[in-house]
Amino acid sequence: MGTSPDYAKLWFTARGWKPFAFQKQVWTAVKRGESGLLHASTGAGKTYAVWFAALNRFASSVTAVETSRKRKPVAQPLTVLWITPMRALAADTARALETPLLDLQIPWSVGLRTGDTSSSERARQSRRLPTTLITTPESLTLMLARADAQTALATLRMVVVDEWHELLGNKRGVQLQLALARLRRWNPALIVWGVSATLGNQAHAEEVLIPQGGGISVQGQTSKALLVDTLLPPAIERFPWAGHIGLKMLPQVVAELESSPGSLVFTNTRAQSEIWYQALLEARPDWAGLIALHHSSLSRDTRDWVERALKEGQLKAVVCTSSLDLGVDFLPVERVLQIGSAKGVARLMQRAGRSGHAPGRTSRVTLVPTHSLELIEAAAAQDAVAQRRIEPRESPNKPLDVLVQHLVSMALGGGFVPDELYEEVRGAWAYRNLTLADWSWALAFVRHGGLSLTAYPDYRRVEPDEHGVWHVPDARLARRHRMSIGTIVSDASIQLKFWSKGGGGKQLGSVEEGFIARLKPGDGFLFAGRLLELVRVENMTAYVKRSTAKKAAVPRWNGGRMPLSNELAQAVVERFSAAAQGEFVGPEMRALRPLVAVQQRWSGLPTSTTLLAEALKSREGWHLFLYPFAGRQVHLGLASVLAWRVSQQQSVTFSIAVNDYGLELLSATPVDWPQVLSPGLLSPEHLLEDVLASLNAGELALRRFREIARIAGLVFAGYPGAPKSTRQVQASSGLFFEVFKQYDAGNLLLAQAGEEVLREELDIQRLERTLERINRLQLDLHQLKRPTPLGFPLLVERMRESMSSEKLADRIRRMVTDLEKTAETGKS
Amino acid sequence: MSTPYPVRLAGEDMWLLPEKALYWPAQQALLIADVHFGKAAAYRSLGQPVPHGTTASNIAVLDGLLAALPCRQLIFLGDFLHGPGSHAAATLGALAEWRARHADLPMTLIRGNHDKRAGDPPASLNIRVVPEPLLLGPFALQHEPDPHPDRHVLAGHVHPVYRLRGRGRQSLRLACFRLGEGVSLLPAFGAFTGGYQVERDDSCRIFVIGDNEIWPVS
Repeated sequence: MGTSPDYAKLWFTARGWKPFAFQKQVWTAVKRGESGLLHASTGAGKTYAVWFAALNRFASSVTAVETSRKRKPVAQPLTVLWITPMRALAADTARALETPLLDLQIPWSVGLRTGDTSSSERARQSRRLPTTLITTPESLTLMLARADAQTALATLRMVVVDEWHELLGNKRGVQLQLALARLRRWNPALIVWGVSATLGNQAHAEEVLIPQGGGISVQGQTSKALLVDTLLPPAIERFPWAGHIGLKMLPQVVAELESSPGSLVFTNTRAQSEIWYQALLEARPDWAGLIALHHSSLSRDTRDWVERALKEGQLKAVVCTSSLDLGVDFLPVERVLQIGSAKGVARLMQRAGRSGHAPGRTSRVTLVPTHSLELIEAAAAQDAVAQRRIEPRESPNKPLDVLVQHLVSMALGGGFVPDELYEEVRGAWAYRNLTLADWSWALAFVRHGGLSLTAYPDYRRVEPDEHGVWHVPDARLARRHRMSIGTIVSDASIQLKFWSKGGGGKQLGSVEEGFIARLKPGDGFLFAGRLLELVRVENMTAYVKRSTAKKAAVPRWNGGRMPLSNELAQAVVERFSAAAQGEFVGPEMRALRPLVAVQQRWSGLPTSTTLLAEALKSREGWHLFLYPFAGRQVHLGLASVLAWRVSQQQSVTFSIAVNDYGLELLSATPVDWPQVLSPGLLSPEHLLEDVLASLNAGELALRRFREIARIAGLVFAGYPGAPKSTRQVQASSGLFFEVFKQYDAGNLLLAQAGEEVLREELDIQRLERTLERINRLQLDLHQLKRPTPLGFPLLVERMRESMSSEKLADRIRRMVTDLEKTAETGKS
Repeated sequence: MSTPYPVRLAGEDMWLLPEKALYWPAQQALLIADVHFGKAAAYRSLGQPVPHGTTASNIAVLDGLLAALPCRQLIFLGDFLHGPGSHAAATLGALAEWRARHADLPMTLIRGNHDKRAGDPPASLNIRVVPEPLLLGPFALQHEPDPHPDRHVLAGHVHPVYRLRGRGRQSLRLACFRLGEGVSLLPAFGAFTGGYQVERDDSCRIFVIGDNEIWPVS
């Protein structure tokens, strides 16, 4: 490789650029054959740091292949895999990588392989892969699931994982860890580089990507100046106490957009983005064509158009979701508005970084509160950003569902010998402590469905041949598995198309099947910024036409609800503590002062030394509100444990609501909270026992099982557009969960569902630390006459869990009696 | 067997059973909808692991009812077998053994949509298979709940469940009977079947099943 010229120097010199120190560090490291992780915020030359490192080391000069008689030099074989978390980023990455290749006449080709890649392009790639292939973790696993994978990838020298922070903390990242373990076994000298935004735990991020050690860490440009400010409601007295859409702030948002040439308006959900887009158009009909909508359920064409128009500076504003969080730098963006809580410091900084890209410009994000309490969160977010309290992300540990899926993939990818694959899998960080017992279970699961040979008659997915190599014997099962690879679980989605006679109307995007199922033909709904009317549904496609109706439903997509990060929650408590001392610093706190006074008069304020609790009797029943400020996950765990412990003392059914600030327990029968809420109830002792017991009494594990069942192949999402007959073999994961619990309680996937609830839904470690912390706090219990500003959002929360120690018959009897009473009062 | 709940339906006394079945004392007939025998086996044959035990559990409940009630005929309101993959040796073996224990009892299956795909049960099971409707007294026995011009329809297919709501934002989702003016629905009998939520209106009576009891929802 010593013959290759210094492409980096050539290209940078030609443009009059001076490389950053971190770019040179990466180039030197890769020259020495080292792997590593580059921490760099958006933009700022991180792509070229890694790309020129690859070119300098692996690209041979043009003269070497000029002997070819063809006019176009033959490109070098596959050398670099570029992994990107979002297929939307792939095309932009390709353009960025191709620019220097053309300028420097390097005989490298760049290709894409994602879920969007056409079948003709795939066919071309199966004959010869490009020198650099840009792909996603799912598509990489699909390539590894081909019988000729090892030959096809034999010339691979380097893997680049872009936006590693987006993958590190989830199962997609684990899937990638497993793929990397396989590539490393084939080529121990493989160079792996990750590019990650700044995280609170950089050492962990590096260890997971390069578990064999020897990786180096390179720090990119430190992030530039960041300004966080808030749009204040005109009168706090008329600003709502709960809610998440935030349209009260419409006039102020319109005014802000008016005064700035190009803005991004971030919302937290797709439904919210639809509502805001429509509201902005109604407020300013003259902005039609100047503002646009961007979220992940819109068709690819629409999103491409919006991104292009934004880059060309044709748009005044784009209302978007996290779909515009990553990648692509949009130069013309001047302002970023965040509607509602940003939930985390890292996310807020990333969104802020979307503005002011030109050198010397400050990045600015303006927070738009959707209800009163978000003002204090805005003030707290400023503190946390100023102190750079960035959240850590951690890799999942040993998820067996991903392992089971991987075993079938590898059986397809030329087959596997168990002992060899065991060593290889343990090379992935998440499985470094995988025991032989776990391994044997996973093998038995893909072979027989479980450990006991008789447990699952007629079932076989993977089987060893006479040489001890495990394969998938059934071509039908192989095809189904290839369609199911991946760890992103979503509800069955249905395509939306305009109705036209003879079919073939324009594609609009997709919505969840459950939403369409609730609509009748003729009903109106809002999608892609248009009022639509449902015409008919057939073959997993909903046909629609434009509507002139006044009333319209808005689709809800069941995306995950992100919890407020610990970092941000603690900053909120600090602001409340200061307020309790009479300190109201900054415009947000001064605006909030009247509301804080109400909270203080009717109840009290949470502080760093007290735990605020409120008891209330209403028409609904007996309420307890508790405010530990530990994020919704921990609150859910805490509420489950509390409900469980109380239900052991008396027969009772609780309905549980949580938000990022606190929790509510509601019962239809009396609970004497001042008496019941003793320090013992909040003790960290026997925590794990009680959490596990509460899991069995509640419904949380079932919800987690849904994802696990899909990934492990228990539930098949179905072929897109498949006729109804194949759907007879689809069953809900809830049904599976019940059947497993009753007939195979020892199944490890059930155990995993339980473990994942502990770790991800409830965050047991953080729960334990929280209990220890609140045990040192002084309990401050108030008996309320009416709900307080802090309690109100919990009171109206509709997403609820339940927990019961009552006999089912008693619960049914009470509900049936209540119904009879209302029926009688209705008659009189 | 748990306590039956007697109701009047189309002029007849009928018993709603918490085992998710309907008994007609005058005819000594036991009516069962949507057993879906072999559903788990059908999944396994397609590479989806489901533990066994559901067939045995269905048979045990049936045996309990047949032991407790005088029964001159057993009628399945469709969806006896789940799919083509349900003709598995273990499933059919268990059914044959069960049939042998009740060799003298006449059994009838009204063909449902799943039976059409699965194929009729093997002749050795000695189950008479008929298309819907099967007319008996004031009733038209069917799988699908389509109205009949002059009979009261007893049907399955829907797998009805009802969501009971109460104070304190509580709710329970329970299998139910839905007795209407012209069409009445039986709950799905099978241990491995899901449910479809039905609503209540003035023209129908809902009876939910929970804790081995029948509960009228007025």
